[in-house]
Amino acid sequence: MLVLRRRVGEAIVLAGGIEIEVVEISRTRVKLGVRAPRNISVTRREALALAAENRQASDLIGHRGQQGVGDLLRLLQNLSDDPTKVAPGNADM
Amino acid sequence: MSSDVIHATHVGEIEWSPGCELYLPLGLPGFEEERRMIPVEVPAQRPLVFLQSLDTEATCFVSLPVRTIWDEFRLRLSEEERLTLLLEPDQLSIGADVLCLVLLVPFQNTVQANLDAPIVINMHNRRCIQAMSSEAVAGYFRLADGGAWVGPC
Repeated sequence: MLVLRRRVGEAIVLAGGIEIEVVEISRTRVKLGVRAPRNISVTRREALALAAENRQASDLIGHRGQQGVGDLLRLLQNLSDDPTKVAPGNADM
Repeated sequence: MSSDVIHATHVGEIEWSPGCELYLPLGLPGFEEERRMIPVEVPAQRPLVFLQSLDTEATCFVSLPVRTIWDEFRLRLSEEERLTLLLEPDQLSIGADVLCLVLLVPFQNTVQANLDAPIVINMHNRRCIQAMSSEAVAGYFRLADGGAWVGPC
């Protein structure tokens, strides 16, 4: 891994067009600013893992359909898996 | 109040009013273009909450209120996350200020939930984000036989 020392206001440049600047440093955190072309996606590393997890989450009903939900409900205390009515919004959360 | 109808691929026809709509300024990781969702409860399938996209009919998540999984859950938000939700520092009371759901992810023949990445809804303005912790705090909980949640896994 390449390691560089930078101060607030200083930056590094990647591939000639992506600039990452140190905006602020606190005791435990560094605030970075990124200037990049619009087509460059900038993501926190933990968001990449979460994106994969979210795609799997959408598969629970996406690929398995109501059958998947029914299986889930059977695990969750054998509730009915035969909905007759859909009620939107204001869920008791 | 006027209402609208979406023909959701998986949960069927849903009639909803604008007051039910959640606004996700950042989308969700992996679903960044999905900016509008509604929470849907099917009476026979409580306590499940379906998060149905209003932008893509086929995009739907199955979730649970976080405290149905772990009643000691404490919400931790970064300053950026709080600002995105337009929450004041003293507005973090679950149930009063915010609603917290966790997405259910298939795992082998059961499901698990990442309690470090809750879906947080500001009840005052219905702005919604998925909180993201860079360090594991609550971890993953997994649904075991008999309906009990086991965690952290």
